[in-house]
Amino acid sequence: MSSARKFDARPKVAGTYRFLDDYNNIEMMHGLLFYARFDHGIISKIHLPPDFNLNEFTIVHASDIPGQNLVPEPVADQPFMADKEVIHFGQIILGIAHHDKKTLKDFSEQIQVEYQKQPATTDIKQCLEDEKNCFGKEILINHNFTPKSDPGCTYLHKVYYTPHQEQAYLETQGMIAIYDDQKKSMFIQGTMQCPYFVKEAVETIMGSAIRQVIVETSEGIGGAFGGKEDFPNIIAGIAALLSYKSGKPVKIVLDRSDDIIITTKRHPARIEIESWTDRISGKIRKLTVDYRLDAGAYQTLSPVVLARGVLHSFGTYNIEEAQIRGRLFRSNTPPNGAFRGFGAPQAIFAIESHIDHIARELGIDLADIRRINLLRKGDEMPTTQIIQEDHIKECLETVISWSDYYNKKARFEEFNHTHSDKKGIGLAIGFHGGGYTGNGEKILKSEVKITIDKDELVKIYVANTDMGQGAYTTLAQIVSEALSYPLSKTIVEIPNTDKAPNSGPTVASRTIYIVGALLQNLAYKINAEIPDNNLSSYIKNHPGQFPREWKLQFQPDPDIRFDDNTYQGTAYKDYSWAACVVEIYYHCQIYQIEVKNIWNVLDIGRPVNRKIAEGQVEGGNIQAMGYALTEFFYKPGFGRMHGFTDYILPTAFDIPEINIEFINTSSPIAKGLGEIPMDYPAPAILNAAQHALGRNFYELPLTPENIFQVLKSSHNTKIAQEDN
Amino acid sequence: MKISFRINQKDVSLDLDPMRRLIDVIREDLGYTGTKESCGEGECGACTILLDGFPVTSCLLNAIHAQGKQIHTAEYLAKTEKGKLLIDCFDETNAVQCGFCFPGFFVSSYHYLLNDGEPNLEKIKYALSGNICRCTGYTKIFEAILLACDRIKKQV
Amino acid sequence: MDFYKPSSLPDLFEIISRLEGRKYFLAGGSDINVQIKNKIITKEPVVYINHLDELRGVRDDGDQIVIGALTSYHDLISSPLLLKYIPFLSEALRYFASPPLQNMATIGGNLANGSPTADITPLLLVLNAELKMMSKSKLRIIPLNGFYTGYKQFDMKYNELIGAVIISKKATSGYRSYYRKVGSRRSLTIAKLSLAGLKKMSGEQIVEIRLAAGALNEYPRRLARIEDYLTSRIRSELDWQEIESLLSKEITPITDLRSDSEYRYQVCLNLIKQFVLD
Repeated sequence: MSSARKFDARPKVAGTYRFLDDYNNIEMMHGLLFYARFDHGIISKIHLPPDFNLNEFTIVHASDIPGQNLVPEPVADQPFMADKEVIHFGQIILGIAHHDKKTLKDFSEQIQVEYQKQPATTDIKQCLEDEKNCFGKEILINHNFTPKSDPGCTYLHKVYYTPHQEQAYLETQGMIAIYDDQKKSMFIQGTMQCPYFVKEAVETIMGSAIRQVIVETSEGIGGAFGGKEDFPNIIAGIAALLSYKSGKPVKIVLDRSDDIIITTKRHPARIEIESWTDRISGKIRKLTVDYRLDAGAYQTLSPVVLARGVLHSFGTYNIEEAQIRGRLFRSNTPPNGAFRGFGAPQAIFAIESHIDHIARELGIDLADIRRINLLRKGDEMPTTQIIQEDHIKECLETVISWSDYYNKKARFEEFNHTHSDKKGIGLAIGFHGGGYTGNGEKILKSEVKITIDKDELVKIYVANTDMGQGAYTTLAQIVSEALSYPLSKTIVEIPNTDKAPNSGPTVASRTIYIVGALLQNLAYKINAEIPDNNLSSYIKNHPGQFPREWKLQFQPDPDIRFDDNTYQGTAYKDYSWAACVVEIYYHCQIYQIEVKNIWNVLDIGRPVNRKIAEGQVEGGNIQAMGYALTEFFYKPGFGRMHGFTDYILPTAFDIPEINIEFINTSSPIAKGLGEIPMDYPAPAILNAAQHALGRNFYELPLTPENIFQVLKSSHNTKIAQEDN
Repeated sequence: MKISFRINQKDVSLDLDPMRRLIDVIREDLGYTGTKESCGEGECGACTILLDGFPVTSCLLNAIHAQGKQIHTAEYLAKTEKGKLLIDCFDETNAVQCGFCFPGFFVSSYHYLLNDGEPNLEKIKYALSGNICRCTGYTKIFEAILLACDRIKKQV
Repeated sequence: MDFYKPSSLPDLFEIISRLEGRKYFLAGGSDINVQIKNKIITKEPVVYINHLDELRGVRDDGDQIVIGALTSYHDLISSPLLLKYIPFLSEALRYFASPPLQNMATIGGNLANGSPTADITPLLLVLNAELKMMSKSKLRIIPLNGFYTGYKQFDMKYNELIGAVIISKKATSGYRSYYRKVGSRRSLTIAKLSLAGLKKMSGEQIVEIRLAAGALNEYPRRLARIEDYLTSRIRSELDWQEIESLLSKEITPITDLRSDSEYRYQVCLNLIKQFVLD
């Protein structure tokens, strides 16, 4: 387990590493996305402002699209630009370009859209409550479920809610499109996770008007977290259209407020759980989950988020009878999309909170209820997948003893007897399936390429991007270690669809787990072909054989099957496991929770780079802390947030002590890492709040205002007075 | 309006709209693209520069604010003795993830190192409290600055 | 947007005496540029004043401390004079915005912006601070309490400028002080509410008390009814229901994206209680 330095750290600190907005040329026009400021309506007329020279502007509308006005997605239902009907706030109506950024902005701010207002659903809870809003394909998993009630069991029925979450990558979204009229080709450069998605999107919108699309990422990608999975398709498509129409390079970089208003967020969820638990043994006999996501106005990739959410909604528990239902709901809000965890944080929040509520109901210790019900080696998930390892148990036991959970719990309770401020300790466990869900990897058939030059440089070609997670360093390290070749001579090339094969999107923790494993196998293959086992001297002795190229494609394990209709089979070949303890301090005067300490014990298999792995856990924990405490995007009656002044991200002051331990580190497999540290801290924080305050909570975020409301409703008196 | 100032030890004199945002002057007119724009409202610190030695957010300043002043950006600080030491520490602790916020963090932490430099976590948090990072959870950034403070103490 | 850069203080007064309509003074830039970005300021003239150094600095003036309007929060927090006489002010302002914004934002700018959430105003209100209002031909000293007349409305003529803030050196001597800003986080936060207080006790009796709240009315205000009620009472004999009903007449907290009215009301009461009973 090495801790190789990241090759890009130094230029990033010094500001010399280039992000998209750092690319400029004199010819370049600035592009802007003009979008609807209403929720639902039929456009009757667009009034362009009169005091501008229209000849200086390039303007594109749905009617200018030579190809198809549908963004390629798992469900291709979203247009690049609205034609007549707008069905959500923030829906793009026009693409506009001009040489001067300020003129462009002034112009777009004065455009008036005349429309006939239509009814709209914008409130999250209203949307998720009303089954009339259901759309898309429903998922139903039935695992031995019998509706008859069990007299020895305690029945618990609760509804859990989670809010939107904004990715808040520090670099806003952006694309440069450069159209070459002679070659009829389009070059796209941008900040993105999935270059081949963007390629397909530009091919779709441009149709037969162009012959070739090449997509390359900018040198640096300033954070993504899922937010740059599918939205870049739209920006690239419109930038391409503007460049095609103007004949000039066009750069679109979103302003922060535009970015926050129109791009995708984590799906708000309503998760209803019923459980039947044996009063004597504490064993959960039966469980039903009704998992609902607010998809926004279009399905886009929501069905895939739904699938992952449903497949994590039963938690890390062995449940004999389970019925799980997953549905998407439509609202007149921008489509929600990918965000670190992809449906799992919502699912794990609900099940982990519910487990605590069962324990409190039955008077069982919070660790014991988990021990009793834990998925053990040989147990069957509701999907019939058989568990092969007992690592979740090891995570749980390790975190309990390492954090001194029981002693602290007793000490905190003692403290709480004599203080108005309170202390709390919470526990949560989680899991995360690595790679695409179900048959996804089988369909993707990812391919990777390695070349070796005469100058002894090993170059890795993949379509996966480094958006800060350290992918280029870690992938180079995997190849360098497998080839026994110096890391300094092993590099990952900036993803370019003309040079790198399609190794799939940079999502679902698949970059190291799937693509890294492919590269490792390819490196072994290269090793086997180099007879004297010393690459360096072999290149020197056989210059005629270089440059040389090797490729390898993903081969699915034939024994692994998953049924997309019944959701039975192996949804994910490997799961990462984790357990977490969180300590909080509650400030009673202002109803505010402060997280003091987070303890993480994880099985992610082999951490390729220890420091990078820790960085992923720390970053994931803090995003989860924001999710639990301060981050929300919509407030009924007050609409949506517009920027970083409203949307409250954790700052340096809010950071607790974070402790991280990895188990199972000698495993040959590097499993998924990026997402799991986002999955479990939020329920652990909620559980700690319940411990501190002795009240139940069912909804995130636990803002002081929300805590105040809960305390008030259960006291029905002025709480502070009583506490004083 | 003619506006003259010194940036990264070079004298410049430009004909500018005095209300033009200073970040645009630095990035677009002078090409120091290490200064980043993220929130555009002083809430994230990605555009932090040193103005007469003090960290300020250049997205909320105007060209006129630079008149007669000294500006230093991350690009210049990276070449100084303490800047190099700090970069070594960021590198060794693997504190950098996407890096977009980092020139801003670098400027704030450089100022801390120069003006206080005590390896005290609370003080470091305070010095960085105007910079937002979404990737790292800050922990390794604190670690890097503590390390840098220790190293400088040992040098003295 | 017309731009003016006066060559001197007299030139400034000359310029503004000619600008009768709405105009903005550009000092540190931290508020004005947000308002320009949000299109609150579009065409109004801007008068740059940040270079007029005679308006900057914390000065010792006999019994008083005179704080020039252009004094930055950084200079306020690190002023030896304030640390010596009003240490409570320096400590309270540490969590204003963030260090970079403390280096830019000025005391005059914060007061002239007139935001209901301004951090410094409740503090200055309990310190009985005064404002030195300057114009071409006149200088008047007015109490800060009374300067605000409504949401972003001031007792200030078109040809005037807030030149300085005046605080008595003895403003806190013999008093216990209190300040709490409640925000979503500790730095980079706009107050959901804030409470500043000074009190003089004689055993259990409250001899004198001053309270001022931010973000609970259209401008930061002294809680006069509560002060009146509390003055000369014995701490253990207070009728908190009475105080609660007085508070409901004193503050008008709103529900917005940042917080809720009920929460603001209750926390304000909690903080008053904390200060009074502490």
